[in-house]
Amino acid sequence: MTKGRLYLKLGVSGAVSASHYFVLYLYEREVLESFTRTDGLYPALPIVAAFVFSFAHGAFTAYFWEALGVTPRRPEA
Amino acid sequence: MEQIAPHFVELAASNVVGLLLIGFVGGLVSGFIGSGGAFVLTPAMMSLGVPAVVAVASNICHKFPKALVGAYRRHRFGQVDVKLGLVMSASAAAGVWVGADVQNAIKESFGEAGSNLYVSLAFVIVLVLVGSFVLHDAIGSLRSDARGAQEVTSRLARWVQSIEIPYTMMHFKTSKVRVSALFTIPLGFATGMLAATIAVGGFIGVPGMMYVLGAPALVASATELVIAFVMGLGGTIKYALHGLVDIRLALILLAGSLFGVQLGAIGTTYVKPYVIKLVMAAIMLIVAVSRGLVAPVYLAQLGVIDLGGAMMRWLPMLSFAFMVLGLCVGGFIIIGAMLRGHRAMLLQDRQQAVEIK
Repeated sequence: MTKGRLYLKLGVSGAVSASHYFVLYLYEREVLESFTRTDGLYPALPIVAAFVFSFAHGAFTAYFWEALGVTPRRPEA
Repeated sequence: MEQIAPHFVELAASNVVGLLLIGFVGGLVSGFIGSGGAFVLTPAMMSLGVPAVVAVASNICHKFPKALVGAYRRHRFGQVDVKLGLVMSASAAAGVWVGADVQNAIKESFGEAGSNLYVSLAFVIVLVLVGSFVLHDAIGSLRSDARGAQEVTSRLARWVQSIEIPYTMMHFKTSKVRVSALFTIPLGFATGMLAATIAVGGFIGVPGMMYVLGAPALVASATELVIAFVMGLGGTIKYALHGLVDIRLALILLAGSLFGVQLGAIGTTYVKPYVIKLVMAAIMLIVAVSRGLVAPVYLAQLGVIDLGGAMMRWLPMLSFAFMVLGLCVGGFIIIGAMLRGHRAMLLQDRQQAVEIK
């Protein structure tokens, strides 16, 4: 991957991840209320949120270390 | 500001920073040895005023996406035995179920202090026994590595692999082992039982896969992440159905731990297998000391011994400090080993460049 493309991916995934956390901060009370409801499909919310955050933030953290030059010794499959 | 529901605490900026840092180190250790960190995260959240059950629920909710990211990354390095992970997870789920029932039965019979004492004793006994064995093996591996020898399969694992039980034999390709499912079932069950008791099933799961089944240390630690994902997901579903997950805590921990888990996974490509054993043994033995320190407090609460007020206050604090120390020692060994591995790689590249010239 070229440096430019890496930085682009880092920026986009970072913005997506940051926007998730910003929404969590802005709507803290509403999020807590709906995520702790036990009726209907509400119990699925923490699981869905954990998956969504892990994909966005997981991608960002991978690009972050790569941009810093911290890469695996052996090539990835 | 309006009052948030009673079991969900207000979060100050300093608490958020603390959770991010502890999440990072916990993630680093998990990415490297496949488990760990959970034993510090739950008491750390409780020290912020989070009720125990919410701390456990939020911890487990951050654990499964962390394990997923770690397992995915290490799968790309060819270290994960997905089949072994799923087979172990099946019996681990039963272990978690039984472990939780045992825990509840003890709580009903002996109260909160009795339950805490049981957890502490389980910590001390399991971690001292398994931790000492892993440390002994790590030192042996370090010596044989110095002589240039390869990672050796334990005598027990060679015996387990030699047992042929018709219709139960399974081949695990990445681990390069062929064993009877009758050996993986109790191992997975014990992993689940320990996870339900002390929140870190990997302290049985990883050594079990290494010494009982004969999986290489790198594969065992990576495969544990699959088991952690399955158990974490199951646990989260259970707690979410009761509305006990504080998603803010889970996602803040995840923010720090995903940086750590990626770094820990990358770290495994720079180190020799004995470093994984060394980190695991160091953490296990320091945590055993931590839980041993707090056991007299629970004995005093049960009226078995008499402790002064000062001791009742200081011992839990000292115990928590040892837990954090255990995690930090693990983190330092990992970072140190990574730096040494990186330096060795640069040196090797330079030598190769000189030879080509």
